[in-house]
This record gives sequence, C-alpha cells and structure tokens, in this order.
Amino acid sequence: MGLDYKLVLWNKHKKKYDKIFALSIVLYLVLFIVLTLLLNPEGTAETLIIRAFGSLAILMLHIILIIGPLCRLNPQFLPILYNRRHLGVSMFLAALIHGTFAIIQFHTLGNTNPIVSVFTSNLDYGSLTNFPFQVLGFLALLILFFMASTSHDFFLKNLSPKIWKGLHMMVYVAYALITLHVFLGAFQQETSLPTIGIMLVGFILVSGLHLTAAFKETKNDNIKKKKEEDGWLKVCQVREIMENRAKIFTVNQERVAIFKYQGKLSAIHNVCKHQGGPLGEGKIVDGCVTCPWHGYQYLPQNGQSPPPFTEKVATYELRVQNGWVFIKPEAFPEGTEVEPAKI
Amino acid sequence: METAILTFLIILQIYFLAGLAFGVYFILFAKRIDPLMGNSKKVIRLLLFPGVVATWPFLIKRLFQNKNE
Repeated sequence: MGLDYKLVLWNKHKKKYDKIFALSIVLYLVLFIVLTLLLNPEGTAETLIIRAFGSLAILMLHIILIIGPLCRLNPQFLPILYNRRHLGVSMFLAALIHGTFAIIQFHTLGNTNPIVSVFTSNLDYGSLTNFPFQVLGFLALLILFFMASTSHDFFLKNLSPKIWKGLHMMVYVAYALITLHVFLGAFQQETSLPTIGIMLVGFILVSGLHLTAAFKETKNDNIKKKKEEDGWLKVCQVREIMENRAKIFTVNQERVAIFKYQGKLSAIHNVCKHQGGPLGEGKIVDGCVTCPWHGYQYLPQNGQSPPPFTEKVATYELRVQNGWVFIKPEAFPEGTEVEPAKI
Repeated sequence: METAILTFLIILQIYFLAGLAFGVYFILFAKRIDPLMGNSKKVIRLLLFPGVVATWPFLIKRLFQNKNE
C-alpha cells in the first residue's frame, strides 16, 4: 500500500527490534570469538571469521524458520514476525561474509577461477562421505541472494505475489542445502560431534514446530460448526473475541477473520492483499484492521484500504444472537460495505 | 562431470552478465518498468539493483507488458 517506494519500511517498533537484533548479533560474535580463542588459540583469524559468521547465519536461519510456526501457536511472538524481512537480509549478509572468506581462504591460491575451484577442487560427487560440501553452501548462498535481493515491495508487485512467494519458499531448499553443508563439513573436516548435535537439535526444533502448528491449524479447520436452517453458521461466543482483535474461522474453505471493536463485529477475508499476511492475527489500529506483517490497513466494515489506497478484501455478513456470533458463509465481493453486527 | 559443471557455471555467468546490463537500464529507466518508481527517491534504484540483476527475465516481461498496455 503506497504511492511510492520507501528505502526501508521503518517505524518506531521496527527500529527498536532492529537495534535489539543488531546488539544480539554483536554479542554473539564477541562471545563466539572469545570462546574460540580460549578453547582453540591456534586457529587463524580467517578460520575464526568463517566459523563465527557461518554459525551466526545458521542461528539466524533457524530463528527465521521458527518465527512463522511460533506465531501460529502463540500470538505473543508476532512482533518478531514483523521484523523477519530485516532478519532475513542480515542472515544473508552473515552467510555472504562466511562464504567470501571461505572462498578466499580455500580457493584463491591456485590459477583456477575461485568459483570454478569451489565446484572442481573435489570431484568426488559420487561419494556420500567425501561429497564436496562447499558446493552445497555455494548453492544455498545463491538462493539466499535471490531472496535477500528481492526483499522489497517493488519485487512483490513486479514479480507478482505468486512468483515472489514461490521464490521465498526456496528458503526450505536453502535450509536443506545448508544442513547437508554443515553435516558433511563437520564430518569431513574434524568429525565435530557438537556441531552435528546442534544442527540435529535445530532440525528437530524447526520440523517439530512446523508440524505442531500445521496440526493445530488442521484441528481448527476441522471443527464442525453447526449450520443453522436459515444458512447462518454459528461460530463462537462474542466474549471469545478480544477487543480490537479477531478470531479466525474457516468458512466455505476460506479463512475469515471476525473483528470486535467499539461494541461491533465485522468479518473480512483473512488474507492481506499485500503479501498474503494473516489479517486476523493483526489488530485494529486507528479504526483499521492492520496486517501484522507489513501494516497494510483495511476498514473492517467494507474491507477497503483507506483512501488514497486501493486494496480490497471480501466481506461477510454477521449476526449476534444470545451472545453467539453467526456468519453467512457466502462472501460479498471485495470491498462491499456490510453493516457491522451490534453486540 | 567437469564439463557439466563448467557449462552450468558459464550459463550462470551469462545470466548474471545479462542481469547487470538490464540493471544499468533499470537505474536509468526504472519508471518504464513500474510508474511508482517515478515518485520514489533515486537512491532506491541502487538498493533494488542486486534484485533486478537476479530477476531480470521477469522484469523484462513486465516491461513488455507495460509497453503493450
């Protein structure tokens, strides 16, 4: 939503979280370097940089991957989700430093082009234990470059949301490549059991949280709602919805967010037009439903972005009876004005 | 195996060289791809440059779509 593009979409909260992340990154690097120097003082500065930034990038990637399921399990994690874009770009930069130093240290001493050397210095592609693990890291870095460099609304609009989303779902391919890169690297270089153990814990955490969140959503989707004779669907009690917040339901295979505000209820389609964010996980700010991902706004009574913006989502009719909320499952066309249900 | 790897790397190199050329076009004529770029600060073009280099085939398609409209 905008009439121009901004360099970086910052607001007070995002600046605060960026400062926290920046400080955490510095603390991690200092801690890693001090501990490494104490435990292994003979290592070179290049190796220290490669390991510090490599492990930092992996840690950040794990945080990025668990933010989504954590938010679906507990909305208290939502503020971290708002900052995921900056975290993603920072993670790429950490991985880039790791990759650049690794290429400089291991592939610039001969006559071969360093990138070609990454792919051809070890041609044991048929082996499982001696597979050239650096190639996996290079390919992961390439995917992360595509993702980080397109982390801007310009690309979301001009690549189309479908292609953009598809491109950014490649993070799971990058994660698989990085996991193999670390496993094989740790195994081939020094059989580092702690590294393998940490990666294993990370993998269990990421996959476990994704499965738990998916199970919770499937359970919610499968809750049978009693269909009334006149076509209304009984969904919940009014008191179950917090003020200026929403509860999300699946109606006719579509996710719908029912918002409570100023003694009224309104229902809109749950999917934000900007990037498919879950509107029902956002809240009402200045009278507008505000998407938790990037702050796109919609008026609850008609699903329209406030002028001069033009985004629209579908709306639904609601009814309140004896403290229960009923919804008409058929959506109105996007942007249709619907009288809010009085509580 | 080595031939396949070299072919892949040459294709990758050509892809990014073409991307760089299109990136220069983007710096100069970003408004033709997206009219909103006309209202935005010029420095944003530099920020978007790496992404343009990476995704130039999609943006060329967008450019032609805009020309046909």
